[in-house]
Amino acid sequence: MWLVRLLGRGRGSSLPGMVALRICPGILAHLARQARRGVVMVTGTNGKTTTNNMVARIAGEAGYRVVVNAEGANMITGITTAFLRKASLWGRVSCDYALLEVDEATFPRVTRQVRPDLVVVTNFFRDQLDRYGELDTTVSLIREALEKLPGTGLVLNADDPLVASLAAAAGGEVLYYGLGEHRRVTSSSSAAREGRFCPRCGQELAYAYYQYSQLGNYRCPGCGFSRPPAGVEGTEVFPEERRTTCRLRSPAGDYELVIPVPGLYNLYNGLAAFTAGLALGVEPRVITRALAGYTPATGRMERFRYREKPVLLNLVKNPTGFNEGLGTLLSLPGPVDVLIAINDNDADGRDISWLWDVDFEVLEEEHRHVNLLVCTGQRGAEMAVRLKYAGVPLEKIVVEEMSRAVERVLNGPGKTACLLATYTALWPVERILSGYARRENRVESLPSVS
Amino acid sequence: MPEGKIVLKVCHLYPELLNLYGDRGNVMAFARRCRWRGLGVEVQPVNPGDPVDFREVDFLFLGGGSDREQNLIARDLEKRRDLLQAAVEDGLVVLAICGGYQLLGRYYRTLEGRVIPGLGLLDLYTEAGRKRMIGNVVIELQIEGEPVRVVGFENHAGRTFLGPQVSPLGRVLVGCGNNGEDGTEGARYRNVFCSYLHGPLLPKNPRLVDYLISLALARRGLPADLASLDDSLENAAAEVMLRRLLK
Repeated sequence: MWLVRLLGRGRGSSLPGMVALRICPGILAHLARQARRGVVMVTGTNGKTTTNNMVARIAGEAGYRVVVNAEGANMITGITTAFLRKASLWGRVSCDYALLEVDEATFPRVTRQVRPDLVVVTNFFRDQLDRYGELDTTVSLIREALEKLPGTGLVLNADDPLVASLAAAAGGEVLYYGLGEHRRVTSSSSAAREGRFCPRCGQELAYAYYQYSQLGNYRCPGCGFSRPPAGVEGTEVFPEERRTTCRLRSPAGDYELVIPVPGLYNLYNGLAAFTAGLALGVEPRVITRALAGYTPATGRMERFRYREKPVLLNLVKNPTGFNEGLGTLLSLPGPVDVLIAINDNDADGRDISWLWDVDFEVLEEEHRHVNLLVCTGQRGAEMAVRLKYAGVPLEKIVVEEMSRAVERVLNGPGKTACLLATYTALWPVERILSGYARRENRVESLPSVS
Repeated sequence: MPEGKIVLKVCHLYPELLNLYGDRGNVMAFARRCRWRGLGVEVQPVNPGDPVDFREVDFLFLGGGSDREQNLIARDLEKRRDLLQAAVEDGLVVLAICGGYQLLGRYYRTLEGRVIPGLGLLDLYTEAGRKRMIGNVVIELQIEGEPVRVVGFENHAGRTFLGPQVSPLGRVLVGCGNNGEDGTEGARYRNVFCSYLHGPLLPKNPRLVDYLISLALARRGLPADLASLDDSLENAAAEVMLRRLLK
């Protein structure tokens, strides 16, 4: 055990887990069984890291000891590593809850070894087709894995038909969360929507309104499958530059929910975490207090300041998340200096064609809001091509090596800087950025793999 | 619209159903490169049941989708088959990618041996393979007698074989191509271009887009010489991948 603990002190490393699994393949089951009150898993396409960290914050606020695999180390080796970091020399793990974000494709393998007491499913969007295959395949993988877990409770996003359709798969209690109709819902959704067919009978779903992508109030004209009533429901949404607020109705009463990060999708993460907190028996007031003090993980709308200039760093990994990121970018005080870092390693997805499913065309309409777009990373040149064909004025598009790219956006004449990076580009960008800029909203770190 | 201005009509078939892997970028590239030259473009999205007159179309794009979505559109496309065939024989410029490519052929044979008929517009067929062919691809194709290297990303389980009436679009330098066996990639028949390459294919390969535009203009009897554009961003992006893949 000491051997594996000595290995891999790097951030987000999965090496100790990899070694341990070689030596003792059953080690994860052994370690996870020691969580006294239970194991919670968070899966889905977007929001896993944020939701899981929020749940960790809630459990911590309630006084529980937790093991968390933070920083997106969500494959089987990363999850094992998280336990090893907390294990004694004798392989004892002293914790109340194991809170694990689990990669969708890995979910069946992990749940064969560790039986979760509660599973939170955030959403399903198109993501890294070279790794996961088509969306239908991913949803089926999760469904089949849940069918083998009788007694596991579920926290499901009522607004995503693909997620809500999982309710029948589990044997345990199902809690739904969602957003009700508010002033900003739309009557159409231009984003690539693969989830708009009934997951039960295949007919096209009818929508009363959309939140974003295929999330909204849907009903199948064929079989009657429809958005289930959300036990935890956000209403009256107030998006602000630095935070998102909503009124919240729940079986435990009505509350005001404050999430100190912008973006509708972060509100969804907050609602998921709130619901999970209720499922763990935490007092609602403790939950809202924990969420109000949430600090984002690296690259999840992380705030920095360079001299007087506010700087935002965000991970982008699929069209839905990128569209949301662009929406946030356009809500920042402008003009904005933008950096986009695109890598195509395995963890990013080797196929970068998804960039053409992102609606960069909004930058053509709003080009005055953007001062400079610096493209970098292994596929920075191709990112520049995408912007060109989106109609962004050529003189605003630059391709640069990474250090120079970061310097350039920091020193650009814009009011704000916004840095968007794919998974493996995020760390180098963050490292370069921290050399210049002061971190603002990361007061403390959650217990993490590092 | 000022009198005499040329307007090319682009038909995007089933943009909401066949929209995997950013293939809509092909339509964007065609439209932008026309507009940058002062040519008008009208993009008509055609969904199942929508009326469309293929005789009036200058460029038709057909992408790929998941199995379920492809089944949904196959029924609709079957009804339009004869009109589409007439337009193809008349020289309509078509780009079909991945699933759309397979659909234009004679049939698709599943792993279980079930034969799903295609539109039969092109002399080719596809068989499901056990191993998915996924990865970056480089092919070399001839544009007006000149070799051009084209980069893309393939992700398909179907293995396509060409009959004598069609020619390959290009030959594979890196990757699998049509079937991983015969070194061919894609297909060409009259002005129909088919390929497994996502990426998407056209925006990364401006020479190919311009070739399609000039074919469309020539078919209308219009002068097909295109003003040259600054393609330095596209060329730089292609160069990155060519350097990486053609070691």
